[in-house]
Amino acid sequence: MPVQAIDHIRNFSIIAHIDHGKSTLADRFIQGAAALSNREMSEQVLDSMDLERERGITIKAQSVSLEYTARNGETYQLNFIDTPGHVDFSYEVSRSLYACEGALLLVDASQGVEAQSVANCYTAIEQDLEILPVLNKIDLPSAEPERVIQQIDEIIGLHANDVTSISAKTGQGIEELMEAIVHQIPAPQGEFDAPLKALIIDSWFDNYVGVVCLVRVFDGELKKGDRIRVMSTERQFQVSELGIFTPRKSNWDKLTTGRVGFVVAGIKDIDGAPVGDTLTHAAHPTETPVPGFKRVQPRVFAGLFPISSNDYEAFREALGKLRLNDASLAYEPESSDALGFGFRCGFLGMLHMEIIQERLEREYGLELITTAPTVVHEVLTRDGDILSIDNPSRLPSIGDIEEVREPIIRASILVPQDFIGNVIKLCEDKRGVQKDMQYVGNQISLEYEMPMGEVVLDFFDRLKSASRGYASFDYSFQRFQQGDLVRLDILVNNDRIDALSIIVHREHAEQKGRDITERLKDIIPRQMFEVPIQAAIGSKVIARSTVKAMRKNVTSKCYGGDMSRKKKLLEKQKEGKKRMKQVGKVDIPQDAFLAVLQVDSNK
Amino acid sequence: MLTPPPIGLYVHLPWCVQKCPYCDFNSHGQPRETPFEGYTDALLRDAETEAESLDGRTIGSIYIGGGTPSLFPPPTIDRLLTGLSRRLPLGTDCEITMEANPGTFELERFRAFRRTGVNRLSIGVQSFHAHHLRALGRIHGGGEAAQAAEAAREAGFERFNLDLMFALPGQTVTEAEADVARAIELGARHISHYQLTLEPGTAFHAQPPTLPDEDTAAAIQEACSARLAEAGLERYEVSAWSVPGEACRHNLTYWQFGDYLAIGAGAHGKISDAATGRIERYSKWRMPQQYMARAGGPEALAEHYPVVAEERPLEFAMNALRLTDGVPAAYLTARTGVTEDAFEPALSDAEAEGLIERRDGRVRPTERGLTFLNNTLGHFLPAT
Repeated sequence: MPVQAIDHIRNFSIIAHIDHGKSTLADRFIQGAAALSNREMSEQVLDSMDLERERGITIKAQSVSLEYTARNGETYQLNFIDTPGHVDFSYEVSRSLYACEGALLLVDASQGVEAQSVANCYTAIEQDLEILPVLNKIDLPSAEPERVIQQIDEIIGLHANDVTSISAKTGQGIEELMEAIVHQIPAPQGEFDAPLKALIIDSWFDNYVGVVCLVRVFDGELKKGDRIRVMSTERQFQVSELGIFTPRKSNWDKLTTGRVGFVVAGIKDIDGAPVGDTLTHAAHPTETPVPGFKRVQPRVFAGLFPISSNDYEAFREALGKLRLNDASLAYEPESSDALGFGFRCGFLGMLHMEIIQERLEREYGLELITTAPTVVHEVLTRDGDILSIDNPSRLPSIGDIEEVREPIIRASILVPQDFIGNVIKLCEDKRGVQKDMQYVGNQISLEYEMPMGEVVLDFFDRLKSASRGYASFDYSFQRFQQGDLVRLDILVNNDRIDALSIIVHREHAEQKGRDITERLKDIIPRQMFEVPIQAAIGSKVIARSTVKAMRKNVTSKCYGGDMSRKKKLLEKQKEGKKRMKQVGKVDIPQDAFLAVLQVDSNK
Repeated sequence: MLTPPPIGLYVHLPWCVQKCPYCDFNSHGQPRETPFEGYTDALLRDAETEAESLDGRTIGSIYIGGGTPSLFPPPTIDRLLTGLSRRLPLGTDCEITMEANPGTFELERFRAFRRTGVNRLSIGVQSFHAHHLRALGRIHGGGEAAQAAEAAREAGFERFNLDLMFALPGQTVTEAEADVARAIELGARHISHYQLTLEPGTAFHAQPPTLPDEDTAAAIQEACSARLAEAGLERYEVSAWSVPGEACRHNLTYWQFGDYLAIGAGAHGKISDAATGRIERYSKWRMPQQYMARAGGPEALAEHYPVVAEERPLEFAMNALRLTDGVPAAYLTARTGVTEDAFEPALSDAEAEGLIERRDGRVRPTERGLTFLNNTLGHFLPAT
C-alpha cells in the first residue's frame, strides 16, 4: 500500500447497537476497498471469535486500514477502528473513539436508536468527532426511515439531510457512504516534529511475538528499532515490528503522525500495554500523555468452581490463557466450604462474565458452577481501615464494621412512553434515584443513580420484560456510597452455604430471604430426610422453608428379565448426583447457586 | 468361587388381545390367525438348545409369562409342557406358574390349564374398580376380577397370585385399600402389590395420565401394607407379599441371583458357568415371526453378553437387596464368582448409612434401605 499524506488519512469508528449491522458494513468496506480476495473474505472478518459471531457482538476491537480511490480520483487511507459493542466496555469504546476524527452512527432503519448508541454517540460528540448518521437495512420492508431520521434528530440533534441510507447486506449506498467519509470526516492533525505521543487503542497477546498493540500516533513518529516507554508503567521496550492491518498484517518501517497501526515491542504480558495508555520515546518523551487513561477495574465478581475437583489445574491454566488477552479479567484462588476449590473472578460487567464463562466451558471443556455475581463493597472498619470486599462471605462480622459502602452507577435508559410507568417502578424497586427525565420525541430518556449490586443481578432482563424489549440501557460507575447493607446468609440443613451469601439492603433482606428460601425449596430435590432451609442475618433467622423428606425411592417392579434399563436408571441417578454438590449430607444442584438471581426474574 | 446356582425356565408367550397402555413387556396384539402351534414348535426347538446350558441341574420352576399366556388353547399348553418335560429334566416339585387374565373367556379354561400340569396361576387383576380398570386399558371388569380367584380355586389351583397396581390415575387411599381388602377376602395367599410407573416406550409414557403425587402414593402404600400385614401376609420382596412359605419360587430364583433359561420371543436368560467362571445374559429375538424363524438354530439369540466382574456386585445387589430378608452372605461369592472384597466399600458404606445390615450370616436391606433401595444400590455402582 503506497503511503498517503496525512491529509489523505481518515480515522473513523462505527457506533452501533448490537445487531444493527456493524460487522456486515465493515465487510462491505473491506470488499469495496478490495483488500481481500473473495476466498479470504470469510464472512465478517472483524469478529474473529465464534462466540462473538454467535452473539453478534465484538469484544476485542480490531482495526483495518483500507485504500479507497474516491470519485475525485484521489486515493485515501481509511482506518476503521473497531469498537466493542456492549455496555460493559464503555471505557474501551471511549479509547477507540478518541483515536478517531469521525464516527458513523449506524442505526437500524426499523429498530431506531438505542440507549447504548446514544451514550457512545455523546462520548464521540464530547470528543469533537464528526458524526455521520447512517441508516442501515433500508432494504427491509419493515424499515421506517422517516421515523428513525426524526428520532436521530430529536435524540442526538443530527439533521435529516446529513443522513446516508444504506443496506450493508445488498451494498446499496456503500459508495456514497465512503465518499461521505472522505469528504466529511476531517483528516487527522498533529505535530510531526514533536516528541512521540501514541495512544494504545487496544492490545492483545500473540503466541509468537508477545503483546501486539494497536496505536494511534498523535504526534511525532514511531520507527522500527525505536526505544519506547509505556507512560503509566515507565517500562521501556524496543520496537521490533510495526505496520498496519489490511486486514492482513503488513509491515512498515514507521508510523507517522495521524496514522493507526500495530506495534510489537517485546512486551511480555498484556498488563505491560494497558488500553488507553500512551507510548512515547524513551530518549525524548512527551510531557503530557493522551488524556483519559484509566486502569480497568473489575466491577462484578463471582466464584467459579469446577464441578469436578480434578479440573482445578486445567481451570487455572484456562484462566491464565484468557487473561493473556484480557486485562480486565481478574482472578484469584477461592475456597468455598460448599463448592471446594475454585477462583474468585472479576469482570467488567455481566456480559463480560457470561462471555468468559462460555469460553471456559466451550473452548476449554470445563464444567463450572458459578455463584451469583456480586459487586465490590467498601467496608470502613471500626479500626479505620478501608477494606475492599469482593466476596460477601468475607464481610467482617457486624461488630467490626463502621460502615459498608456500595458502588453507585449512573444508568441511562431510553424507553418508549408506553412503558415509562413500568420502568420507573423497576428503577425504584432497585433503589434508584431519579436524576433526569426528558421527553425526546415519543421516547423518554431517564437518568438514574442506582446501586450497582441491584443492577448486576437481573436488572437488564427485567428492564427488557418491563418494556417488551423496547427499553435500552447504558451505565457508568459513579462512586462508592454508604448504605444500610447487611449480609444475608443461607443455611441448608443448618450448614451455612458460603457461596449463597449475598449483601443486601436491610429493608430488602426479609423479602429476599423469603424469596430465596422458597426458591431453594423447589430447586433442592427431596432427600432421604427433611431439609430445613433458612435465611439469616447474623444469628437471626428471618425466613425459612423446608424440603420435605423423600417418601421412597425404589423401583416397584423388577423381575429377572432385562436388567439393563434398571441399571441405566441407577447410572442416571448417579450421574445426576455427580452434577450436584454435596454439602454436609445434602445434595445441592447447581441451579441452587444461582437461586439468588432467579427469585427476582420469576416475579 | 462361582457355584452353579438353582435354575428355572422362563417361557414367553407374546400375544395379547390388545396392549395395555402401561405395559412395557414384549407383547403384541393378536393377529387374526395366531400361530399357536407353530410358535409352540419353535419353543420346543428352542428348549432343546437351551438344555445344553443345564450342566447337570434340574429345572426347579417354570414361569409362563406374556403377553397373555391364557390366550393359548389348553391343549397347546399341554403339548408345550409335555414337550418341555421330555427335553429338560424337571425337578420333582417343579413350580409351574402361568400368567392369566381374569376375563370370562379365560376363567372357563382354568380347569383345563390345571390339568396340563400348571400348578400356580398369576392373575392380572390390577384393580377391582371398574373406572380404574378402564383407565388402565384393561379389558376385564371388576366383577370378573373378583370371580377369577374363585375360578382358580375351583379349578384346583391351591397356589395363585393376584397382581394389584396402586397409585392409579385419580386413585384415593380408600380405593386402594379396598382393592387390597378384596384380594385378601378372595383368599389370595400371594399378592403382588406394585406401583404404576410410566415406562419408556409405552402409551402412558407418550401421553402421561395424571398420577397421584409422591405423598399420596406413599400414603397409599403405607395403608395397603398395613392391611396386607394384618391379614397375615408378609412382604418378602419390594412388591411381593405372601403367607409364609408361599413365595413364588421362580421369582426367588431371580432375586437370589440364580440362573434361568429363556425361551420365547424377547425372553431374557442368565447362565452361570462354574467351570469358566463366566456369567452370561442373553435374549431372544423380540418379534414373534423373527423368533419362530430362528428358534433352535444358531441365530436364535438376539444378543448375549458377559456380566463382567466389575458389574456383578451391582447386579447381585439389584436383585438380592429387593428381598426383605436378603440372602445368605455366602451367596455373595458363590453366585457372583467375585470375592466379598469386591463388594466393598459398597457394603460398609451402605451399612454405615443404615441401609443394609449383616447379621446371622445374611445380608439384608434395612427397612430404610428397602424404602430407598435406589439410594442403597447407588453404593454398588461401579466407579466410572
